[in-house]
Amino acid sequence: MATIEFHGLSKRFGDITAVDGLSFSARQGAVTGFLGPNGAGKSTTLRMLLGLVTPSEGSATIDGNRYADLDEPFRRVGAMLETDAFHPGRRAREHLRILATAAALPATRVDAVLEEVDLVDAGHRRVKGFSLGMRQRLGLASALLGDPTVLILDEPANGLDPDGVRWLRQFVRTFAGRGGTVLLSSHVLAEVAQTVDDVVIVAAGRLVAQSSLADLANRSRPGVRVRTPQVTALHDALTTRGIRVQLVADDALVALDSTPETLGLAAAAVGAVIYEMTPEHFNLEEIYLELTATDEASQ
Amino acid sequence: MRNLISAELLKLRTTKSFWAYVASIVVFVPVSIALSITVGNDQNPLTTSDGIRGVFSAASSGLLMAVLIGITMSAGEFRNNTATPTFLITPDRRRVMAAKVLAGSILGVLLAAISAVLTVAVATPWLHARNVDVNLLSADVITPIAGALLSLALGVIFGIGIGGLIPNQTIAITVLVVWSSIIEALLTGFVPAVGRWLPTGAASALGGTWTIEGGLLTFWPAALVLALYSAAAAAAGTHLITRKDMT
Repeated sequence: MATIEFHGLSKRFGDITAVDGLSFSARQGAVTGFLGPNGAGKSTTLRMLLGLVTPSEGSATIDGNRYADLDEPFRRVGAMLETDAFHPGRRAREHLRILATAAALPATRVDAVLEEVDLVDAGHRRVKGFSLGMRQRLGLASALLGDPTVLILDEPANGLDPDGVRWLRQFVRTFAGRGGTVLLSSHVLAEVAQTVDDVVIVAAGRLVAQSSLADLANRSRPGVRVRTPQVTALHDALTTRGIRVQLVADDALVALDSTPETLGLAAAAVGAVIYEMTPEHFNLEEIYLELTATDEASQ
Repeated sequence: MRNLISAELLKLRTTKSFWAYVASIVVFVPVSIALSITVGNDQNPLTTSDGIRGVFSAASSGLLMAVLIGITMSAGEFRNNTATPTFLITPDRRRVMAAKVLAGSILGVLLAAISAVLTVAVATPWLHARNVDVNLLSADVITPIAGALLSLALGVIFGIGIGGLIPNQTIAITVLVVWSSIIEALLTGFVPAVGRWLPTGAASALGGTWTIEGGLLTFWPAALVLALYSAAAAAAGTHLITRKDMT
C-alpha cells in the first residue's frame, strides 16, 4: 500500500506564501491529478514531498514516512520534476548509469527503462540533441530506474505531442492498474482529464477542491439554453420563479439550475415561442477555471 | 558510500570539461619544468637544493585545475539541475557531500601521481642533459612530490567546498581565480607575513616553490594550514547545501 498524504503543508519564501496549509491525499492504485494554474504552488508541494524543499509547516508523507526517512527511497518513489535535469554533454545511457550506480541498482535496469520509455535507439546520444519529448521520456526513465511503486510527475505532458500524451496516458494508467500510486501535476485539466481518477485543485497555494473526477463532473449543475424571440418576457418569467438566468444573445438565454421541463412550463405560461431548447453540456474545463479563478479573485 | 563515490567519479568521467582539466594539467607539467630549467630563478640555480625543488614543484602545477574540478563536482550539479536526482537518491545531503570529498581526494591523489610520474619522466633526462644529476630519493624530489599528492587532494576538497558555498559555478570559478591570482598574489607580494598563511601560500610551500620573500611555512605546518582551509570550506559548503531549498 502506498498512500501519499499532505497535512497542513505550508511554504513561505520570505514574504511570499507559495503553499498555504495544504491537506490532501493520493490513494494507491489510482492516478491523482494535481491541478492548478502556473504559480499555484504545485511544484513546491511536490518538492516538499520529496524532501527537496523544507516545509515551513506541516508534513508530507508516503505511507506515513517522510521521503528522507524511507529506506532506499529511490526504489519506492520515482519522480520526474524538470525536463532539464541532465548534463547536456552526457549520453542518455551515461545519465542513467550514474543514477543506477549511486542507487546500487543493477546495470540491467538501465536497458530495461530505456526500453520501457522507447528510447533504446537514442541511448548513446548526448542529451543536448534531445527534443523536449525525448527529455521527458528520459526523465521518466530516470524515475522508473528503481522500479518504484509510487510515481510523482510534475507537468509530465508539457511539451509532448499528441502521440506522446497518448503514450504517457497509457503508461500511467497501466502503472496505476498494477497497483501503483501516481500523483501528477498539470495546469491544464483537459490534458489529464482522460488520465486521472481523482483531482486535487489548488490555486494560490490553497486547496480548492479534492474529489474524484466523476464527482467534479457532477458539480456542473444542469442548465438549459433557449432560443426565443420573447427573451425579455421569458427572462422575467423565469426570474420571478427564482431561476437564475443569463442573457447570452439577442434571442437566447441560459437558465441555470434548471431543466427543459421547468423551462417549457415557464414558456407556456407567458406564451413564448421556443425555436430551440438545449440542455447545456457539462464542461469540466469551465468548472476548473471557475474554481481556480474564484480563489484568485478572493486574494 | 562506495556506490556514491563510484557515481561521483562516473559523473566526472562522463563530462568533457573534466577531461579538458586533466589535459591542461598534463600540459602544465612540462611547461612548468621548462620554465624552471630554462628561465629559472637566478637566486636558485639548478645546482642548489631550492633550484631542484623548484623544478620538481611542477608535480603540483595542476593545483588550480584541481580546485576547478572540485567546484564542478558541487556547483556543477546545480548548473545542470542534476542535484535533483542526486538528492532524490540520497536525501541525506551530508552523505552526498562526504562522497564528493572522498571521491575528490582519490582523484586529487591520482592526478598528482600522474603529474609526478610526468615530472620525473621529463625533468630527469632534461637535467641530466644539463649535467645535473638528481637522486630521485632525495628530499629535493620526494618533498615536492609528497606535497603535490597532498595539495592536489586538498585542492579538490577545497573546490568542492567553494562550489557548495557558491552554487553558481561561473561565479564560484570567477571568485576563485580573482582571489588566488589577484588578491592573494597582491597580499603575498606586499605582506608576505600574511601571505604564507593563505591557501595559495600554504600550497606553494607544500609544492616546493620558494618564491616568497620572508619564506613560506615549512612542510607540515603548511599541510596543516591547507587541510584546515579545505576542511573549513567543505564543512561550510555542506552546511549550506544541506539547508538549500531545491526549487
